[in-house]
Amino acid sequence: MTTTPRPDRFPAPNLRPEAPAPGGWRRHARATALWSGGIALALLVAAALVAASWADELPDPVATHWSGSGGPDGFSSLGGAIAVGLGVGALCVVVFSAITWFWGRAASTRRIMASTTIWLAGLVSLTLVGMLDQQRGLADAHEAGSVGGVVLLAVLLPLLPAAAAALLVHPDPPLPATTAVAADARRTALRPDERAAWVGRATGRALPAVVLGSTIVVVAVAVASQLWFLLAVAVLLLVLLLSMGAFHVRVSASGLTVRSVFGWPRTTVPADEVERADVVQVSPTRDFGGYGWRLGREGRTGIVVRAGEALEVTRTGGRRLVVTVDDAADAAALLNTMAERARAAR
Amino acid sequence: MIFRLDVTSGEPLFAQLAAQARLAMLRGGLRPGERLPAARELAEALDVNMHTVLHAYQELRDEGLVELRRGRGAVVAGRPPAELDAVQDAVAALVRAARSAHLSATTTTTLVQEAFQR
Repeated sequence: MTTTPRPDRFPAPNLRPEAPAPGGWRRHARATALWSGGIALALLVAAALVAASWADELPDPVATHWSGSGGPDGFSSLGGAIAVGLGVGALCVVVFSAITWFWGRAASTRRIMASTTIWLAGLVSLTLVGMLDQQRGLADAHEAGSVGGVVLLAVLLPLLPAAAAALLVHPDPPLPATTAVAADARRTALRPDERAAWVGRATGRALPAVVLGSTIVVVAVAVASQLWFLLAVAVLLLVLLLSMGAFHVRVSASGLTVRSVFGWPRTTVPADEVERADVVQVSPTRDFGGYGWRLGREGRTGIVVRAGEALEVTRTGGRRLVVTVDDAADAAALLNTMAERARAAR
Repeated sequence: MIFRLDVTSGEPLFAQLAAQARLAMLRGGLRPGERLPAARELAEALDVNMHTVLHAYQELRDEGLVELRRGRGAVVAGRPPAELDAVQDAVAALVRAARSAHLSATTTTTLVQEAFQR
């Protein structure tokens, strides 16, 4: 009978009237999955309809792939091209929306997933429409010109709706903890009047090395192949490095703040939402599938710039945040102490 | 590293911050080339005026322990000349003596502070 709920075994939760019910994140996660997935699918379908409406003006077959030197080298029927674009795009949208639906506990996760979903749908839609637009009026698809400009636009233009989607995501409502800080979690000994702050940095060599390496490769390829739109990709990589390469981390009376040296992205965990803070060991590829601002298993959010020692904060609402910092034991101890003070101040 | 401030103590706040940074350098928690937290960030975190933190950093600079550079903040320049081992041995002996005399940590600290003011 392990599946039978036994509510009488649990103490009644001491929730204040305005406090959202535990698990309230599911409503936000599902809503975000539905609207971001819906907009993304609508974009893909609109692109497919536009492409289909050009059937009379397009050569048969149409060009669907371009070689490095600029000319088309892959061809398919119009229906096939639309089906591939729609199929690949829709598959990604469904996968991303499912991640939002099931693991979108934290607003930061929902924001990343919603904007990625919409950016990707925009990329696929604009690539499909753009490459076909270049072939309208041609008798033979072999005459199609380079698609560098189309790819550049398809990468950059959807960044705008993606940013708008991130802003539209409902932020996490305040969810103060109703239980005491875990008794077995480490503490910092502070006198009642004493103020304290822990200040550290999350820095690593792996991410800068990978991004710098790939930037050099992209620039080399761009110069060698004269595909100048690739330089925009290199610029995007550099911005990514700047925004995800190093973070300022701070524990103070108000809680935990993690802020990119770029100023954005950033996140905070209010002290009264901390259930416990611990030191954990992180393997970037195994636990988070890579470096940067990541979504790990069980909806754990990771700010991962290197392997090894990290601060793990268990927050109300089943949210967990991992940040790779040196001296994580001091940070965790102080955060637990500040979480306790925040409870006492209520 | 952790910075602490006791606002009820008579010791100025900037001196408390400078003392902790000095101690961290002695113990190897802050090594040459490492950066101290940005003054604004530390001031925000401790809820004090930014000039308090800057004052502490300037004191460390005057002692040659940090270099203040525009845009780079305070960078640890060297180790304080003090030899900590002898002091730590003496402190251990003091704590033993205080325990056997049943003195509290607060009372013992007060004795030490009085001795410094003589």
